[in-house]
Amino acid sequence: MTSIDLDDLFSAEAIGDPYGFFGALRESDPIHWNARHQLWVITRHADIVWMVRHHELFSSAVIRNDQRPPYPPIDPEDKERFEYVREFRSEQVVEQDRPVHATMRGVVHPFFAPTAMEAWRPFIANAVADLLDEIEPRGGMDVLPDLAAPLPVRVIAQLMGVPPEDREYLRELADKLLYINRGESYRMKPLTEGMRAMVEYVTPFVEKRLQEPSNDFISVLAQGEKAGLFDRHQVLVNTALLLFAGHETTMNLIANGTLAFARHPGQWAQLRADPDGLVRTATEECLRYDAPVKSTQRIAASDVDFHGRSIRTGDRIRWIIAAANRDPLAFADPDAFDITRQPNPHVSFGAGIHYCLGSTLARLEGQEIFRALARRVPKLVLDDPEVEYQPSIQFRSLKSLPISWR
Amino acid sequence: MQDVLKVWVDHTRCVGNGFCVMTSEKVFVHNEDRQSEVIDPGADTPEKVLEAARNCPVSAIQVESAITGARLYP
Repeated sequence: MTSIDLDDLFSAEAIGDPYGFFGALRESDPIHWNARHQLWVITRHADIVWMVRHHELFSSAVIRNDQRPPYPPIDPEDKERFEYVREFRSEQVVEQDRPVHATMRGVVHPFFAPTAMEAWRPFIANAVADLLDEIEPRGGMDVLPDLAAPLPVRVIAQLMGVPPEDREYLRELADKLLYINRGESYRMKPLTEGMRAMVEYVTPFVEKRLQEPSNDFISVLAQGEKAGLFDRHQVLVNTALLLFAGHETTMNLIANGTLAFARHPGQWAQLRADPDGLVRTATEECLRYDAPVKSTQRIAASDVDFHGRSIRTGDRIRWIIAAANRDPLAFADPDAFDITRQPNPHVSFGAGIHYCLGSTLARLEGQEIFRALARRVPKLVLDDPEVEYQPSIQFRSLKSLPISWR
Repeated sequence: MQDVLKVWVDHTRCVGNGFCVMTSEKVFVHNEDRQSEVIDPGADTPEKVLEAARNCPVSAIQVESAITGARLYP
């Protein structure tokens, strides 16, 4: 028997099978000090829920406060670019603590609330239908580039209120921004190019929406600027956040969910028998079973003694959503993919004051994709039963997912 | 006449986002699990209560008319 190094978060085991890897840690040492990466690894569902809800103890201002060099390492000549990225990201709503967070979230939260978001459902359903009309006759697709990547960008373009002819350009920017979660040493170059181009592209839209507000997200931020709650830089950064936070996450929901259905044909048949009745719980189960985001981080804002462990101010903490969502103390038969599971208290969107701002949007996109696929595609066949994942601690991102239905 | 509301929070859904508490501290408080509780549904206007319900990211806030029993949200 080979022993696995439970501290190497980039090992083939951790990337390939986070459920086995972090599940073992959850059962043996649920509040674990990882000496190799110098951080606490938290894996129990109840512990994560408690910690996330105590935002005053665990700060979200990680990028501003974590002074360690970037990991994986970057090209030495890219230090200045890294500082630009750090400064840019530290103005995101998600990186704020109270009271600033409450003020900023107060401006953007209603736009993403369930009642308001429901109005965008027809647009999303049409966008899905458009994409599938083109794909379906081919008899197969690579889910990532053909469906999972284009849909969120199209939806975000619409929410931002930019014209359809700019969609391709936005897609190019989005591709550069995806480097934020990659490990390549040269990643700061495309990333800063994407950020700078984004600022340049969005600025005239902000100017226009300040004069003539519309029903889009840029108008919401422009109103925040008018009210003195956002400065211009924060407006631009948080417009870009829509692409940072809403692109790869939604891609993963679509791809990981499709993979789960391909591997569980019985569940696919069940969804196909009643797409309208089951698509909501099915989407929640996709979110739980193979969550788009595997883990997220905080930095301790005070000394906390927790289940006999001493967490000290400034300690980095990573909580493992992938382990919490499969915790047998929180879910019956946690490793089963069951699209009728209810209740389903997964923590894929976090909890507490930072509960994912775009959760309703992600749910809408997941529901409309899985509903449409279930209506159109009788059988999902994997072209290759082996799949590979991007080497990220944070994201559960497939490299590709070729499937067929002929 | 203003409607009288019956308001409660479904704790199988509540994630402790706290937007309801920010919207109306007179009606909603956090309990020790950091989930939302209704302390006094009549302490604020029905509009404020419905604003809190509509903005709940997980639609945990349930609102009925105490007079007619009609479901007002969700």
